[in-house]
Amino acid sequence: MHEIIDQLDEKRRRAALGGGQKRIDNQHAKGKLTARERIELLLDDGTFEEWDMFKEHRCVDFGMGESHIPGDGVVTGYGTINGRMVFVFSQDFTVFGGALSEAHAEKICKIMDKAIQVGCPVIGLNDSGGARIQEGVAALGGYADVFQRNVMASGVVPQISMIMGPCAGGAVYSPAMTDFIFMVKDSSYMFVTGPEVVKTVTHEEVTAEELGGAVTHTSKSGVADLAFENDVEALVMLRRFFNYLPLNNKEKPPVRMTDDPADRLDHSLDTLVPDNANKPYDIKELILKVVDDTDFFEIQPDHAKNIVVGFARMEGQTVGIVANQPMVLAGCLDIKSSIKAGRFVRFCDAFNIPIVTFVDVPGFMPGTAQEYGGIIKHGAKLLYAYAECTVPKITVITRKAYGGAYDVMASKHLRGDVNFAWPSAEIAVMGPKGAVEIIFREEKNDPVKVKEREAEYKAKFANPFVAGARGFIDDVIMPHETRKRICRSLAMLRGKKIENPWRKHGNIPL
Amino acid sequence: MFTKILIANRGEIACRVIKTARKMGIATVAVYSEADKDAMHVAMADESVCIGPPPSKESYLVMDKIIAACKQTGAQAVHPGYGFLSENAEFSRRLEEEGIVFIGPKHYSVAKMGDKIESKKLAIAAQVNTIPGYNDAIDTPEQAVEIAKGIGYPVMIKASAGGGGKGLRVAFNDQEAHEGFASCKTEAKNAFGDDRVFIEKFVEEPRHIEIQLLGDAHGNCVYLHERECSIQRRHQKVIEEAPSPFLDAATRKAMGEQAVALAKAVNYQSAGTVEFVVGGKDKSFYFLEMNTRLQVEHPVTELITGLDLVEQMIRVAAGEKLAFTQADLKINGWAMECRINAEDPFRGFLPSTGRLVKYIPPPEINGVRVDTGVYEGGEISMFYDSMIAKLIVHGTSRDQAIARMRDALNEFVIRGVASNISFQAALMQHPRFVSGDFNTGLIAEQYPKGFNAADVPHDEPAMLVAVGAAIHRQYLARNATITGQMPGHEFKPGSEFDVLMGNERHPVIVEQADGGWDVRFGNTQYALRSNWQFGQNLYQGTLNGQPICMQVERRGSAYRLFHWGMQADVQVMSERAAQLLALMPIKAAPDMSKFLLSPMPGLLTQIAVTVGQEVKAGEILAKIEAMKMENVLKAERDCVVESLLAKPGESLAVDQAIIAFK
Repeated sequence: MHEIIDQLDEKRRRAALGGGQKRIDNQHAKGKLTARERIELLLDDGTFEEWDMFKEHRCVDFGMGESHIPGDGVVTGYGTINGRMVFVFSQDFTVFGGALSEAHAEKICKIMDKAIQVGCPVIGLNDSGGARIQEGVAALGGYADVFQRNVMASGVVPQISMIMGPCAGGAVYSPAMTDFIFMVKDSSYMFVTGPEVVKTVTHEEVTAEELGGAVTHTSKSGVADLAFENDVEALVMLRRFFNYLPLNNKEKPPVRMTDDPADRLDHSLDTLVPDNANKPYDIKELILKVVDDTDFFEIQPDHAKNIVVGFARMEGQTVGIVANQPMVLAGCLDIKSSIKAGRFVRFCDAFNIPIVTFVDVPGFMPGTAQEYGGIIKHGAKLLYAYAECTVPKITVITRKAYGGAYDVMASKHLRGDVNFAWPSAEIAVMGPKGAVEIIFREEKNDPVKVKEREAEYKAKFANPFVAGARGFIDDVIMPHETRKRICRSLAMLRGKKIENPWRKHGNIPL
Repeated sequence: MFTKILIANRGEIACRVIKTARKMGIATVAVYSEADKDAMHVAMADESVCIGPPPSKESYLVMDKIIAACKQTGAQAVHPGYGFLSENAEFSRRLEEEGIVFIGPKHYSVAKMGDKIESKKLAIAAQVNTIPGYNDAIDTPEQAVEIAKGIGYPVMIKASAGGGGKGLRVAFNDQEAHEGFASCKTEAKNAFGDDRVFIEKFVEEPRHIEIQLLGDAHGNCVYLHERECSIQRRHQKVIEEAPSPFLDAATRKAMGEQAVALAKAVNYQSAGTVEFVVGGKDKSFYFLEMNTRLQVEHPVTELITGLDLVEQMIRVAAGEKLAFTQADLKINGWAMECRINAEDPFRGFLPSTGRLVKYIPPPEINGVRVDTGVYEGGEISMFYDSMIAKLIVHGTSRDQAIARMRDALNEFVIRGVASNISFQAALMQHPRFVSGDFNTGLIAEQYPKGFNAADVPHDEPAMLVAVGAAIHRQYLARNATITGQMPGHEFKPGSEFDVLMGNERHPVIVEQADGGWDVRFGNTQYALRSNWQFGQNLYQGTLNGQPICMQVERRGSAYRLFHWGMQADVQVMSERAAQLLALMPIKAAPDMSKFLLSPMPGLLTQIAVTVGQEVKAGEILAKIEAMKMENVLKAERDCVVESLLAKPGESLAVDQAIIAFK
């Protein structure tokens, strides 16, 4: 018995050291923490329950038979974040470069299976050189097993990937199927093929950071949702992010105490929208002043900035915020912003998070780049997402709601539950100038007439009343009471139940 | 007495005049440009009239429009405030012709004093001390250099019609005299439409001390003591106080009497100010100029004399006699004013414009007064000056006034536009300011390389540590209330943390106490009591029984605290997390040295270089116009222009690249 306990201690000691002190020092020298250090920071103190610490690979080829490290390059288990349960796997770069073996994959699959069974989110901390080449197809099979579970878990429990080192080749497709991807600046990268291959095939010279670093993916590609300065900041913020999410698709989003009054008025919002319809303003000011405690967790802040998405709380409960941003491209919808917002809306819908939409949209972005890029199908993603959505939907039109974009942005017609408009709202097929050019084509060379017609059109549509007369707007509210009205609407909608017709799954225009 | 007056101004001064008029039972009319239609002064006035487009040349400076507004509304008198038409003799004369009373001095007094050369002659005649100098207009730079040499360097080159620091240069040698003359002349022409320039001796270790006067139409004139305005940045007043920590009773009396003599020489009938330069070594004083208007800094005089200067101006204009004599005017306590400007002290004081996303002035209690013309959600417009508010305090002593000012600055929340609050707070604790030993060169001497975060030491950084720790612990306590926790395994926030501030790590123990937190570190206990709520900008309460007010903002994983001018980013975490954080690399900021970045939002008016051009350090690269001011961007070192990234006429954002260098 004593011997066994001694062996156990020895095994635990070895597992804790991963690839050994030298490799740990190397990892630190690269500005990275070890797999276990990361888990320590991510979870509440002392709550981590590790599984499969003694699991080892079964490969005997290429000298692997002699090389065994307990745990096999990934630390798995569960613990709590602010008392709420989460399953975690954390790849250990110090062990075989974090390479994924069949056994390594089995460990991940084991916690994912359990997470789905118990209804609990999965966080992956990725830091892996790729497949364990010595194992060949066994490792590839391991990836596919993880992929399959990512898909099974999708929409059942939240899945979050934190990329904290390399993630290349097929390995990228596991994070790609999770709900959110976060990255650490300068020490993580993701790409399907690395700079070497790129150079051979397309003769492009590009660094790993430029090709797939955190900045690239959070600004250019939109693959990643947030970038953090270092491992510690990343994990601290991941804890904060986790607080917004329900544990699974059957639960309501979490509620946290707040002392921000639901009926708080903010009179400075009455001057937020400038008189000049072409002058931008920062929609984030509205978001910050409306939500609890000016606390807004923005997702993808550096990508498709013409739309703002993220989580906040109203009366303590999580809401998803979607807002056109007049500061960027006048807030119009284009390919990137439609995809960004569409995906966010679907996440909220999957996990019962009410959606508050702030609308100031002049329309879809025109141009060949957009049309050739497939704006028709991509724009339809956001439309589809909003239309399919069954969670409470509250919409506030602050200024422009023009054309098809009006329909898209959680309009009444797409089952918006409560649709408000500010007095500055203009709901029309297009702006006065464009409309007059079409309706009064024969008068377009007469500047006096054009001015008159524009004024006429403006008087008719540059207000919320036409939409109000048809019931497309439930009420016109003063900007300063926006928080109060949204809080009340959310409270009213707490018991909302609607169901879409049964189907295997819808066919969103991918 | 009048029953209705019009205020031909905007911003805080218009609001301030309206307040007094209302107190006196006089109805008010505001005028406003299109940019100001939602401004506070418009909302405060009983009536308002729009007088044109935003540029002041097309609105606030157009006499016809103001006279028309008077007629339209039946206003019997006009208070001009300061700036705009306040010292315009023609305006005052035209009002007189129209039978409207100008609430200010008679136009002949304005005309005589408005011309610096003329006023100096008058001063000499009235036996007022004047500075040696050349009192006639100068035509050419060469002539200017000769005259400067004759007087002896350093000399001051001033626009005859100048004021408020505009059209003013100091030259220490021939080249500077040559250049200064040329630029002064251009600026004077643009700003005042009068390019006459004169030169005088520059007094060393000078203090700027001015005498407030009040005269009536019955030949009475008194002085309301002095204001010390030596704390200046580039000839713009920053802090004003009354009385001066420098004057003795005899000098005060001598200056006051000379000022009254000068005023009487022009039959002065209103509030006015005689500015003196006072030698820091010998208390010698020389007449500088007379401002024939209400000054920005008049509130400090009001607080020590108990008089409402606007009320006095209105009474005098209505023909009333002064109700007091010189003997009645005592000095009660000490008053100070900080000008709160929309400018970024950490970026060379560049003007900042935009929306006041947050604006919470300190409450007007305990001797605090805030004169302001803006509100939360209002706009600091690029068309007018950059003043957001005047923060004024009154105390029984100078020390008490300083203490109150420091507290009030802590409480002043401004977001959306940059403000100079950090700078004001730094000055308030600067030993030279606190001791009263300063002159107009203080700011330039003490902050030769501009103002940096390191220029704001904190008396007791431990306060920041304690507040950071308490706030963090409060957040954790709330996290513990989240729903969906594992029953029986709920989150426990713990009590031991490391607080990271700058490069230092402070282990602390935080424990909940009745109404707050006890933070222990080292051998000291900090009892913080506060009803602070999440998201609030002000952390107010007591620290070991003493009142405390700190501004707080959560930024990512850190808390940004503002206190006594210091801005500190504080991170609070477990000891273990702090150990691990120490392993993280310190990242260098990205290299932007190969770009010329716009230091402020503004209009790019000129690019002075072309692609491929070799530029020497100090040469002009571009010009940006913001807040009416032209800002010249010069090369910091020799370089070659690679490409131009912006075009003249383009509106620039802060840090937008304008020029790329090779």
